[in-house]
Amino acid sequence: MRRWALIAMILVPLAVLYVSLFVGRFTVPAADVARILASRLWPIARDWPASAETIVLQIRLPRAILAMFVGAGLSVSGAAFQGMFRNPLVSPDILGVSAASGFGAALALLLSRGAFALELVAFLFGILGVGLTYLLARTYRSTPVLMLVLSGVIVAAFFSALLSGAKYLADPDSKLPAITYWLLGSLNGSSMQTLKLVLPPIILGGAGLMLVRWPLNILSMGDEEARSLGVSTDRLKGIIIVCTTLITAAAVSVCGIVGWVGLVIPHLARMWVGPDHRALLPAACSIGATYLLLIDDVARTASASEIPLGILTAIVGAPFFAYLLRKTQGGWQ
Amino acid sequence: MRNESLWVVAAWLLATSPMQTSRAQVTREVTDAAGRVVTLPSTVNRVADAWHANNALVLMLGGADKLVATTVQAQRQPWLRKLYPRIDQVPAAFNAAGDLNVETLLGARPDVILMAYDGALPRWSAAVEAYHVPIVLMPNTSLEGLKTTARITGTVLGPREAEVAEDYIRYFDANIRRVRRETERLSAGQRPKVLHTSSAGILTADGLDTVIDDWIRLAGGRNAADVTGNGRPVTLEQVAAWDPDVIIVGTAPNQLSRKAILEDPRWREIKAVKNGNVLVNPSGAYLWDRHSAEAALQVLWAAKMIHPELFSDLDIKRETINFYAKYFHHALTDDEYSSIVNATAP
Repeated sequence: MRRWALIAMILVPLAVLYVSLFVGRFTVPAADVARILASRLWPIARDWPASAETIVLQIRLPRAILAMFVGAGLSVSGAAFQGMFRNPLVSPDILGVSAASGFGAALALLLSRGAFALELVAFLFGILGVGLTYLLARTYRSTPVLMLVLSGVIVAAFFSALLSGAKYLADPDSKLPAITYWLLGSLNGSSMQTLKLVLPPIILGGAGLMLVRWPLNILSMGDEEARSLGVSTDRLKGIIIVCTTLITAAAVSVCGIVGWVGLVIPHLARMWVGPDHRALLPAACSIGATYLLLIDDVARTASASEIPLGILTAIVGAPFFAYLLRKTQGGWQ
Repeated sequence: MRNESLWVVAAWLLATSPMQTSRAQVTREVTDAAGRVVTLPSTVNRVADAWHANNALVLMLGGADKLVATTVQAQRQPWLRKLYPRIDQVPAAFNAAGDLNVETLLGARPDVILMAYDGALPRWSAAVEAYHVPIVLMPNTSLEGLKTTARITGTVLGPREAEVAEDYIRYFDANIRRVRRETERLSAGQRPKVLHTSSAGILTADGLDTVIDDWIRLAGGRNAADVTGNGRPVTLEQVAAWDPDVIIVGTAPNQLSRKAILEDPRWREIKAVKNGNVLVNPSGAYLWDRHSAEAALQVLWAAKMIHPELFSDLDIKRETINFYAKYFHHALTDDEYSSIVNATAP
């Protein structure tokens, strides 16, 4: 990896983060934003309204940070899964985590629990869903890729049906729209408290994936080859599944189902740094963080009513990806 | 309190009398909200109400014993069930999504189906009309439309109910006039900005072109949410930018949602929170803030909440108790009154 690429990977998301704090529906003068941010680092006389500080530090900042971590987490999970499954069409929810989390969230909404319970239940159901998939795929003390994919399809179908059941039972005036909006994806619920809840699993899972970057290269050559090179493929797969599940379950539990990011960002990263997972995973993190942050800036500023994230990620992302695909003829794979 | 068992027996007699099974020879015509002229039997004794909000209106007009099919949603309204326990026994031919079980409906042998009109015939209309069950559509987007709905519902049910409807409309109009007299001369600057959060959560707002916008305006406020339609998702930052003077939390779980707003430091700088103007919308036989019989009370309540200084002589409790006594034949106790005004289950 060239040095400038590494620097860009770190600096670009941070720069976008800084700029994101200046945009929003509430008018806070740019000078005030800059001074509010600076006031956290060194003492400055506070002559801005209290509301401006609430907006910047308690509404925009946690939301932007969450957008970055969710974007990075989904992208790095997608990249790891695409390597592990040796299939570029794989996204992080292939093992049923989104469907299971979605049902958990719908259940919590149905029972009118608070935001904290919703995130917890959605997270636990996500883990449960992937756990079921893993148990189902386990045959003769190994977990063949094909079995994993099929089990994931089964588990996802089952939880989707339960989710539809929850929607069917939901009050169409209140619960049903709440479930529907939740499923469309939004970072609207983010606060410093959510960060405390969601960042640990994302960071833990992300760090885990970073540690297995190199063996992932070997795994992506196929189970046989990896085993002949002395890599314990099943243990490695287990680690990757645990890490991606921690990340995606946490992401989905707090911001709903944000599709497309985990599928496409790994491809963008591969175009940039090539297929070596040692560079690919950090690149996916960086691009994913930047991408979701920019998308969320649009989601919360484009109109008076919030635009669901799941809609924007695809509406903005799909044409862009189509353009790149035509231009490079898929040559990066 | 009415003698329920007697009513059930009466309804059963009506329901099973042979006269009702033969197709009525004499018919009459009603023009509905879609402008269609619908032919009805001259006496309507069996009504299917596919519009959950309208079930309470039918009860208010005195026609609830004619209900032979209702919606799952109507059966979930705690106060409707308390005022009219039989609603639980009426087959729910319409599910929460507004879809129909045709066989349940036809098994109930309705003379007519009542339904809200949202610009199109319901999906199931063709299936039902093939069996010659007429559908009457009613408007659902404004206070004016609510009066029309009461009138059409009364006309469909029969002369006795139509009379109650006219009486109700006179009462409603009197309330509107009473509020308007005080609020119409308010300038834009004297109109507080009101945010009405919808039932889907505290970060969904009821915007323009809704019955909610209608009563906010009438009650001397301005809708803070300049988005169009009910229950639009909004960001917290947008709410802060609107900076409403009053926040009204609509529909369940209202008290929980109110608490969530008051306890969240991110809402603290918003005017309504700072000045202690975060209110819970009352809810009775149906949600007061929407298409309910109690919309007639909602206009008074909203006026009093938004402009307490203009309506100091207005006693919401007395109005409410009188209303339920007159139109639902139920004498509210103090606990029951506070359950309604605080939107907690009875």
